[in-house]
Amino acid sequence: MTILPQIEAAIPALRRYARALLRDADRADDLVQDCLERAVARRHDWRGEGPVQAWLFRILLNRHRDLIRANPGHLVAVDDLPELAAPAPQDGHLALAEVHRAMGRLPADQRAALLLVAVEGRSFDQAADLLGIPKGTLMSRLARARANLRHQTGRSDASRPDPKNRTNTP
Amino acid sequence: MTLTPETLLPYHAGDLSPDAAARIEAQLAADPQAQALLADWQAQDAALAALYRPIADEPVPLRLTAVLQRAEAQGRPTAPQPAAPWRGRVALAAVLMLGIGLGGGLGWGLRGALPAAPPGADPALAALAAHDTFAVEVVHPVEVPASDAAHLTAWLSKRLGHPIHAPDFAASGFRLMGGRVVPAEGGTAALFLYEDAAGQRVTLYVAPEGSPRETAFRFVERGATQGFWWTDAALSYAVIGTLPRDQLRLIAVEAYRQLI
Repeated sequence: MTILPQIEAAIPALRRYARALLRDADRADDLVQDCLERAVARRHDWRGEGPVQAWLFRILLNRHRDLIRANPGHLVAVDDLPELAAPAPQDGHLALAEVHRAMGRLPADQRAALLLVAVEGRSFDQAADLLGIPKGTLMSRLARARANLRHQTGRSDASRPDPKNRTNTP
Repeated sequence: MTLTPETLLPYHAGDLSPDAAARIEAQLAADPQAQALLADWQAQDAALAALYRPIADEPVPLRLTAVLQRAEAQGRPTAPQPAAPWRGRVALAAVLMLGIGLGGGLGWGLRGALPAAPPGADPALAALAAHDTFAVEVVHPVEVPASDAAHLTAWLSKRLGHPIHAPDFAASGFRLMGGRVVPAEGGTAALFLYEDAAGQRVTLYVAPEGSPRETAFRFVERGATQGFWWTDAALSYAVIGTLPRDQLRLIAVEAYRQLI
């Protein structure tokens, strides 16, 4: 029983997550490749603790954290907007380009948390585990991420601005 | 708004028991602000899904599937110990006896088709080959371990014909495992092998092939193996690994600084 097919099956999700996180297709695939090389090299140490995909996400997230720490300037989010057939937003819909830009302005830790839950469909427990943070920390990152997005897409009501966005007001 | 975002998050994510969800719904009916918040979160989820979910449907680049193909090839039961050291040495010896330089296009131990090598790239190609051969070694990656530092420095300097010491890459998270000598076109090359906590390895290759002018860093790659190389008056240097390019560049800069 080899783990390689399970690793291969996880590549599309890893690419999706890395691209949404880094917002640059080449850098994202570099990160995924790095993750795969590590996973492959350490596959004989794999003891079947949990799903293979979660193990791979953890490797990828650790690597991402290392890269930010080692080289903060290299991970500035760039706006390579995916090609979109972008119709004007209808009522109740958000303009995709606007949301993509707003995601780029989120702090990386908020973006990482929101993408795990909203795009990768992870539960709060799973996402907290993958990020190596307590569930309460995850929840506050999610709340801040969503409030920031709401604010930046012009949906935030004036009565409840996100506290993190109020630094300019006394 | 009586319902806080913190209360609403688990409800929105479906992370509540039916009873707890029902209690929230009862409060929601009288809280239009909370209703608007939830509607916005749903719009956010829909936008994020539309933006990013399709990425997973794209074809996977070959360089990613190649990582698994290589692993599979290495892990086959018929070849449980790939690239044993003597096989590398025999192949190298054969190359030298035939009088064919590594950069001339003989692909021992190399994967895939050989790209056209730029003139003067022989040391870089030899460095790629050396890394591919020795970095995968589990049992005998080096001949002299880093624990024997004085001997390593003296021995490699003598074989190389120039004083050389192993630079320190601790700032990049790599520690010296040790070194070995490998045959090179102009004599004997020195190879230092480094490893990080995750078991990733980086090779510093130093060959006795100088150039009249110092050169800038040049990038070289073959398959997943890549790196940077440069020359000074007496020696050629290459930093090779399967790390991302930016990380290799940092290590190469560090090597250049310490070996100048």
